[in-house]
Amino acid sequence: MRVRLPFILLVLPLGVLSAQSAPTSARGLPQDGPRSIAIDGRLAADAGLRVGDRVVVASEPGVAGDTVVIAGIVQRRADPAEIARGEYRVRLHLDHLQSLLGYGDRVDRFAVATRGGAATADAVSRINDAAYGFRAHRSADVAVETSRTFAVVSRFHRAIGVITIVASAIFLLCIMLLKVDERRRDVAALRLIGCSTRTIVGSVVLEAGAIAVLGSLAGVAVGGAASWIVNQHYQAVYRTPLRFSIVTADIVMLAVSLSLVLGIVAGWLAARRLVRTPPLALFGR
Amino acid sequence: MLATLALASLLRHRARTALAILGVAVSAAMLLDMVMLSSGMRESFRGLLLSQGFQLRLSPKGTLPFDTEATIRSADSLVALIRARPAVAAVSPVLGGQLHFPTTGATVNATALGIEPAVQGDYELVDGRHPVAEGEVVANDALLRALGRSVGDTVRAAAGYDPQLRTLSGQRVLRVVGRVRFIYLAFEQRAAALPIGTLRAMNGPASADRASLAMVRLRPGADVARERVALERQLRTVTVISTVEAIKQVDERLSYFRQLAVILGAVSLVVGFLLVTTLVTVSVNERIGEITVMRAIGVRRWRVVAQILLESTAIMVVASPLGLALGLVTARWLNSILARFPGLPERIDFFLFQPSAAWTALGLLALSGILAGVYPSWRGASLPIATTMRQEAVG
Repeated sequence: MRVRLPFILLVLPLGVLSAQSAPTSARGLPQDGPRSIAIDGRLAADAGLRVGDRVVVASEPGVAGDTVVIAGIVQRRADPAEIARGEYRVRLHLDHLQSLLGYGDRVDRFAVATRGGAATADAVSRINDAAYGFRAHRSADVAVETSRTFAVVSRFHRAIGVITIVASAIFLLCIMLLKVDERRRDVAALRLIGCSTRTIVGSVVLEAGAIAVLGSLAGVAVGGAASWIVNQHYQAVYRTPLRFSIVTADIVMLAVSLSLVLGIVAGWLAARRLVRTPPLALFGR
Repeated sequence: MLATLALASLLRHRARTALAILGVAVSAAMLLDMVMLSSGMRESFRGLLLSQGFQLRLSPKGTLPFDTEATIRSADSLVALIRARPAVAAVSPVLGGQLHFPTTGATVNATALGIEPAVQGDYELVDGRHPVAEGEVVANDALLRALGRSVGDTVRAAAGYDPQLRTLSGQRVLRVVGRVRFIYLAFEQRAAALPIGTLRAMNGPASADRASLAMVRLRPGADVARERVALERQLRTVTVISTVEAIKQVDERLSYFRQLAVILGAVSLVVGFLLVTTLVTVSVNERIGEITVMRAIGVRRWRVVAQILLESTAIMVVASPLGLALGLVTARWLNSILARFPGLPERIDFFLFQPSAAWTALGLLALSGILAGVYPSWRGASLPIATTMRQEAVG
């Protein structure tokens, strides 16, 4: 199959090739046949391309370009930075891409492996002392800078979480008030047969706690199911293995504890209101 | 009479009613925010794109404007071709790049836009004048602050580095002639605009006759869609996108927020609905005897239904304005968080208030208030009178 790709933008850092996807011909060796490239799964699926197909790649539309062989199809990593970008990715040998773009002996960036933390700091400082026109950055710093988008999204999620917690706290308080109010007659009878207010408040709080725990366990199950649906949906939409929603032990603990605290407080407030009302008034007399 | 009875019923349990109103208000606030989020972002972006009157944008084939470093070749002849079309009122070519300003001890980097000042649509002039002559530049506050310069000053700038000669390349002394606000750039992004010819000359042969983007303003009454198709047919090396398509692209990229808005909006509505249904149901259960007596003395069934529906609607009606006010405050807070989104134009509002959004939220709330009263009112009105009275009397 021979396909002409109208215009492929080559936006990946030059020369970055994963082991399983490396084009077959080695850099610098004389090329007898066409050069090889690797394409991503999205492009392969959308253009109906397979390993072994020949395609033409050019840096701009209307330019002759090179005929190349597809040597590999790569799956995208679970990188949140890539999900909103719909563009296709093609990986070429560094020298091939440089000649295709007329880039000369230039690269966008180097990745340098060091022998540990101290060596990294030393390498960064020595490179920056000697460099002109470029700078060395630690990977961790680059990660912080490139993850600013997710820091913003995370802050947004936290803000939404706060609003949700306020809404659920009010809902829970309201429900507990109703629940306890429904037992006005029972409480009045207990008071009349001599049960102490402490026992009554204790029993109501216990009941509230039990309801809160059971409710939050049901909530965890619903949350788990919702998380599964969210992941299935967005993984299909964005064609990525990235997990969009994760229910962790910490989150479960937070939800259950919060619900327990809110339930107990709501139960205590409602019970205190009841025991302060005279028993006969609770009977409606 | 109906209203008095409904009010009396709500006032009987003030704490409960107050909590329900508060709960519904928070749900209403969330609902308004989500309605604003789902439509506001798109409207805000549309307003931004149309703010300067350019309906079409041309970028290198297969790309979105300024999405990559690709540029359009033979840009001047391409612009001349477009200007010759009868439907076209103006064409504004833009070349994107970087400027490096050497200062004592460090270099300040900034985004550079090469423009034609007479037709540019990338910035608004705040102070001074447009950079009409070679070697003139306008800059935004972020850049002027970083450089410690103001209008009238000169500044040395370079377009790149030459690592072999270890010098800055394409150096020029530029005169700052204006202070501007860039329309499409991100918050605190340092930027400058200068005549496209100056930027091309600074960049060297690689940028000769190149442009990153061309914006097209059509004459009044021109068919945007038809002109877009015609331009794309005529110019094979560019992608022509209209405002509608640009919004579609942005919709795709930010679809997460739209979907989140729909899900959270629906959850808010359901929570509000459940809260009111629960409250009114419990309230009806407590007043079974009272309702049965009313029915026994001749009060019609529809009046019982109407009274209970009125109670649920009243909670929603009282809570809605509170919720809408709360929603506007929280929307502002949430917008200030999302405004820090890297790369997003400073002027994009995720939460744009539109009267239609408030009406939609109010309508949904009123509807859910009425629906919330349906089950309890049906239950109250369909009680068998004699049996219920007997049960109530026996206890």
